[in-house]
Amino acid sequence: MLFFLPLATLSNPLPGIGNMKPRVNQQTDIFASGKVLGENGEPLSGVTVSEKGSANHSTLTDENGSFSFKISSKSSIIVISYVGYKTIEMSASKLDGAAISMARDKLNLDEVVVTGYVSQKKADLTGAVSVVNVNQIASNTSGSAMRALQGKVAGMSVSANGSPDPTATIRIRGEGTLNNNNPLYIIDGTPTTRSMGELALMDIESIQVLKDASSASIYGSRAANGVIIITTKKGKKGTVINASASYTSVSSKKPLNLMNTEQRGIAQYWAIKNDNPNADPTAVGIGGIYSYTDHQDANGNFVLDKVTWREYLDPVEKTMKSADTDWQKEILRRGQVQQYNVSLSNGNENSHVFFDLDYYNNQGTIKGSFFNRYSARINSDYTFLNKRVKIGENLSISKWRRSTNIGDGNLGSTKSLMSIVPVHTVDGIGWGGPIGGMSDRQNPVRLIEDNLQNYQDLLRLFGNVYANVEILKGLTFQSSLGLDLTGSWQRTMDLTYQSGFLSEDRSKVTQTSAYDFSWNNSNVLRYVFDKSRNNFDIMLGQESIGYQGNGFWASRRVYALETPNYMQLDRGETERDNGGNESRNAMSSWFGKINYNYDGRYLASFTLRRDASSVFGENNRWSTFPAFSLGWVLSNEKFLGNLAPTLSHLKLRYGWGQNGNSQIDNYAAFQMYEFLYDYNSVWDWNWGTAYDFTGQGGNLPSGFRRTQRGNPNLKWETTSQHNIGVDFGFLNSTLNGSFDYYLKYTKDILMKPGYVATLGEGAGMWLNGADIRNRGFELSLNYQNNIGTVGTNIGVVLAHNKQRIIKVPDVVINNFAGDGKDDNILGRSRNSLYGYIADGLFQTQEEIDNAPAQVGAAPGRIRYRDINGPDGKPDGKIDNYDRTWIGVQDPKLEYGFNIGLTWKNFDFNLFFNGILGKDLNVQSWKSWTIYSLGTVGENYDVRLLDAWTPTNTGSKIPAISVNNYNEENRFSTYYVESGAYLKIRNAELGYTFSKALLNTIKTSSLRAYLRCDNILTIKKSRGKNAYTGLDPETPGTSYPLPFSITAGIKLTL
Amino acid sequence: MLFSIACNKNLDQTPMGSISSADLNTPEGVEQMINAAYSFCGQNHFNKQMGLPYEEGSVRAGEAYKGGSGTNDNAERNLWETFVFMQPTTTGDLDNLWWVHYVAVGRIHDALRRAKDLDESVYPLKNERIAELRFLRAHIYFYMKVCFKFFPYIDEDTPEEEYDKVSNDALSDQELWNKLIDDLRYAVSILPITQEEVGRPTKFAAEAYLAKVLLFAAYEQDATNNVTSVNRDKLTEVADLCKDIIDNSGKSLYNDFAKNFLSAYENGQESIWAIQYSANDDNSPTGRLNAWLIYPVNSEYGCCGFLQPSENLMNSYKTVNGVPDFEHYNSGDVLNNKAAFASHTIDPRLMHTICVPEMPWKYDPNFIMQKSWARTPEVYGYSMSQKMIVLPTDPSFRKTNPFMGSGLNWDVLRLDEIILMRAEALIQLGDQAKLDEALLLINQIRTRAAGSTGMLKFSDGTPTGNFSVQPYQPGVNCPVWNQEFAFKALRWERLLEFATEGKRFFDLVRWGIASEEMNTYFDTERTRKSYLKDAKFTKNRDEYFPVPQQQINYVKGLYKQNPGW
Repeated sequence: MLFFLPLATLSNPLPGIGNMKPRVNQQTDIFASGKVLGENGEPLSGVTVSEKGSANHSTLTDENGSFSFKISSKSSIIVISYVGYKTIEMSASKLDGAAISMARDKLNLDEVVVTGYVSQKKADLTGAVSVVNVNQIASNTSGSAMRALQGKVAGMSVSANGSPDPTATIRIRGEGTLNNNNPLYIIDGTPTTRSMGELALMDIESIQVLKDASSASIYGSRAANGVIIITTKKGKKGTVINASASYTSVSSKKPLNLMNTEQRGIAQYWAIKNDNPNADPTAVGIGGIYSYTDHQDANGNFVLDKVTWREYLDPVEKTMKSADTDWQKEILRRGQVQQYNVSLSNGNENSHVFFDLDYYNNQGTIKGSFFNRYSARINSDYTFLNKRVKIGENLSISKWRRSTNIGDGNLGSTKSLMSIVPVHTVDGIGWGGPIGGMSDRQNPVRLIEDNLQNYQDLLRLFGNVYANVEILKGLTFQSSLGLDLTGSWQRTMDLTYQSGFLSEDRSKVTQTSAYDFSWNNSNVLRYVFDKSRNNFDIMLGQESIGYQGNGFWASRRVYALETPNYMQLDRGETERDNGGNESRNAMSSWFGKINYNYDGRYLASFTLRRDASSVFGENNRWSTFPAFSLGWVLSNEKFLGNLAPTLSHLKLRYGWGQNGNSQIDNYAAFQMYEFLYDYNSVWDWNWGTAYDFTGQGGNLPSGFRRTQRGNPNLKWETTSQHNIGVDFGFLNSTLNGSFDYYLKYTKDILMKPGYVATLGEGAGMWLNGADIRNRGFELSLNYQNNIGTVGTNIGVVLAHNKQRIIKVPDVVINNFAGDGKDDNILGRSRNSLYGYIADGLFQTQEEIDNAPAQVGAAPGRIRYRDINGPDGKPDGKIDNYDRTWIGVQDPKLEYGFNIGLTWKNFDFNLFFNGILGKDLNVQSWKSWTIYSLGTVGENYDVRLLDAWTPTNTGSKIPAISVNNYNEENRFSTYYVESGAYLKIRNAELGYTFSKALLNTIKTSSLRAYLRCDNILTIKKSRGKNAYTGLDPETPGTSYPLPFSITAGIKLTL
Repeated sequence: MLFSIACNKNLDQTPMGSISSADLNTPEGVEQMINAAYSFCGQNHFNKQMGLPYEEGSVRAGEAYKGGSGTNDNAERNLWETFVFMQPTTTGDLDNLWWVHYVAVGRIHDALRRAKDLDESVYPLKNERIAELRFLRAHIYFYMKVCFKFFPYIDEDTPEEEYDKVSNDALSDQELWNKLIDDLRYAVSILPITQEEVGRPTKFAAEAYLAKVLLFAAYEQDATNNVTSVNRDKLTEVADLCKDIIDNSGKSLYNDFAKNFLSAYENGQESIWAIQYSANDDNSPTGRLNAWLIYPVNSEYGCCGFLQPSENLMNSYKTVNGVPDFEHYNSGDVLNNKAAFASHTIDPRLMHTICVPEMPWKYDPNFIMQKSWARTPEVYGYSMSQKMIVLPTDPSFRKTNPFMGSGLNWDVLRLDEIILMRAEALIQLGDQAKLDEALLLINQIRTRAAGSTGMLKFSDGTPTGNFSVQPYQPGVNCPVWNQEFAFKALRWERLLEFATEGKRFFDLVRWGIASEEMNTYFDTERTRKSYLKDAKFTKNRDEYFPVPQQQINYVKGLYKQNPGW
């Protein structure tokens, strides 16, 4: 099946190559040597020196700046490049041992950027590519490069919460589709769509984000959501050992403001009294727990004098003593993060190796939640056959373990269980839990304790082996075989418990394992040549990708002992159950690219890619994705030459291209029937197909059900994108940056829409249904200068994106926000909010009498605005005609702002980021300020105590009531708040020890640093749509992202 | 190129673990498709069940409050119950209700088409199975009919690509009923008198369903749901069909009403056709369960406290001289506590239907309901329902945390209802001989009720209430037995016999008295339960649910919205 061509070639390399170019083999060895110095004459080590057009002929300078390496001809051009310096090209004949000075390059124009199968100099780029400064994220504590990049890349939005599990949601230039919006990752040439949770931060050499179609289209299929290219570190000449360690302490600040036991009692009293002054809250309150002493004042109004509660929640059994439990305090703890990394880089003329070990351990701020990861990497390469063949591999193995059934769900439970419930029964062993009248929600401490033994393990093997053969000078063939294997394993032990009226008396073990295997093989032929001032870089390639996923699970119930040792699946006594499945897909592609550069002034790039995917109907598997881009470097034109150094760099770029998307179900095109004896689901309908015809039980006769309709015409979803950009540098590039404007249009969006009920079960069908447009701009600015002895580096990124749904099939137009009739999502963002306008609270009966008719209107209840009626104008009554567009959950602007300062041996960095203009749907937790909307037997936000009363008319919170008279759970502007925030995301102070000190301990570099994260959050705290929670980034019961402090050290030997 | 050949082949990926439609066109395959059709007809889930429609039929009829953890728990059912807030667009659960019926009908049609395509020589059961499937289809469409009145009628001959082009007004009210009647007539003509597998309908089950459908169809409605006439031919047929069942089916009333609600007596002498549930004995992890949300919140069960009988319902069981206290049942004491049960004369069926604190739970004198079992007493009080409940020790009880259920069957058709259907037809037909026979039939039910006290005991053996039920004795304990009074007595008898079984709302609409009855109910009940403050039944609208707007949208307005919505 898989045919790995380059290995076959290599098995007999000499005749093949010899026939092509016999002259080279007969040549005697020619060497180039020299010495590279910096601006102040200091030797530069680690500088790459290579022979132009012959990638395998290269070396690095040693610590004295010297180099010497084999080249093919005295007339060759030697390229000397170093990150942060301007690249030098010169004839080998001129070199001959000379000392060469390199000049700093503030624009990093010579930085090599991987742009898809091949790499390009930054100066030659014509697409929208963001190159990440990896140094800026090296000491991040989140465990994930993607989380660390939040706010750092214009046009790449990163959302994450404080969970120790290092996942993040990445969106590049908005959401272009209705299915999967995750970008494609390319790690050392191997594609993957898994998030980056397995990749150690310290392994990363460079990250590039390909944002527009013209740059991403070389990855044609799957590139529509943008491509993130990650290159891991490689071995270099000489021996370098790096080690780093850090420790982080995370504060356990409570994210919610919940009532205590007395407050909860007061709320209940008023809820009952407000509805019915004659009711006796002591008699009809939840479970009869609370007793009230009250009296009526001179006006007949009730005055609550005292709230007491009975000693035991269960007065007969007397096992649960009434408490004042702060459930948040019970489940939160100080979090800790530890990171350790050690790497070894070693190399000589012909081989390089990079070896790295990394450990990351995050103990989250919710008790029991953790994530730990061990990873090891070995990247090596070996050059032979007169440097014409290079083979190598990048291989990483990582293993992580994470807690399961423990996480932010438990934060929700802190609200669901009233504080009067004790953590434990009076014996200190049994669990407290709800009594009659309370909600059927679990004790969150029990949930955590009973799940401590449950975790998921995952092992991932990721990497590639590659060969690079230089066939002729400038003509290379490279082939890579990439593998991505993940295996996961989980044993979930559900213990028996008794917790109030909730109980389970049959223990259970569920064991799950999954095995995913994908491979890719790419073969690329590249020819780089110059013809006078015309530079050509031509590439032709082919790629095959295969995926296979398998899952298996089994469960049994009732275990004699409830210890992790004993609770092996085998030992379960009843209810044996199991399941398993497999799924595959495959892709095949051809592609070509031409990069053209005339004299460093005119740049052009053309790409054509043809892809086939097994997920589409046989008729439409193949699709073609073209792209082109043009660049004009004005600053290299003579007529602008005079303006330098004021205008030191100016490049205009334009690109257009198409990308595809095939990230849908593997068998999307097929009609399917399945046998389903029992659906085994509590939360969904029972879709099973068995029936007890005899009424006697036993093994039941069963059958089949349709699960999907087929669509043989299913085809690729295509995104076309225009990008226009400008790169600039002023004042000798002290101030530089780029600006991009894009228009992105996705059509034939793949979707499996809902359908009219009469079509019956399993009538769902994948189709190409919708169009979405995204428009936006991105600005990056950078300022670097030395002011006296203070080095400054200020960076700003800004991005704006606006989404519009242009088309959806008629049948699903109301699957989005809208009135369900004519007022629909077309022309709006899919994240639009639709509902009533809440116009404050009714104050008096008179106001109600003069207001439009509203069922349930009463003083202290939300007043809704009459804006429309069946005839298109306000009709004097509040009904579903009165809904309108009340917000968009997309930010208008996302920004990041970085200040870096260096002074003597100190370095300091401060990073802000934030979003503006985002509306947030906060219904899930703001309803906790309306008594009747939380299920009654639960706890509430403490703000509820400030609810409207005839004497507290300034309140914005509706009067406390047991009954939802006014349908206040209807979605309205009451639940729309500003999601804008500005955060001081982190600050870091570092000190680099002096050479003198280091020499005595035989160390070449040592830096210690102190870092704080999540230092300050500024949110909209006043005004109409003020945010009433604590952190708009992690609203409600999302895993909190609290302040943390980190100490770390980094050492190079 | 080796690659492209290898890869093109690789691109042919076919689904795993899936079977093609064509592979199912064998006698075995068709039998399996029929199994799947039966299976979904008993689909039961809190989100939307196909099972006993206690929310549509009982909560909406004032027999019970929604219950649960306040008005916002399963919030859309609060709209169903109070009527006044309901709008065609706020209908997630209603959309599910609509949906679930078409899933069932879809499975039936899939099986039906395949069965019809096989030759009887290879599939001897062909006609019998077709009759079963048509019976099932009538059962499913019956609930569409009583919930929505109009619905897109699709049968096995409708081409699949036309499914979304069938409107809900293609057939008139009576034409829709006729479709159901046709199916059931066919089933009557084919199905055997007995079935070895009790889950399959017999000829008598088909007759019973036919009688039920004819009874509903007999009350003819105008365009705004007013009952305008009663069709005597249909009623005559109802009476005849019921008589055949009573005389010839071999079915008889249990001596104790309780046995209809105990798993040990399932598929017994009174049940004519039941949806079969299975809990612990069917080799599946969660079973196929009935009634998920109606158990109390105590440690023996755990959740969820829905379906709490109303005070109005409980009061309806007051008797005077052994007959219902027609005039004053709803004033004075509320029949919701132990003391009131002892001081008032009551119909024992109350105790089979409801439980309140201090009373034995589900016939177990040593298992006494506690106040703490009620979930939200400040809103809904303390009552709980009993008929669909099983004891935690019952072999059919199943805990599937966080919900609870049981394998207790749902008797769709029971002999007591056949008896009362015949009585109703006879009363509507109206001559004295028929009225006299109806009296005997109703009294047969009352006599059984009077004798159903054997399990209603405290642990010391004393009865759990002051039970007093007598047959109607015109001129002795009730007025003269004319058509008007007989019909009133019949209506009450159905309430007392079937309370919380999901029938009453449809009865009220059938009789054309839903608006009067519901608004009378609200007038009193809102003084007891403040959440009913704004509840109001709107005549000529609330007799039926609105067509879910979502469904109308899917077909671009092809469906016609029900009147008033």
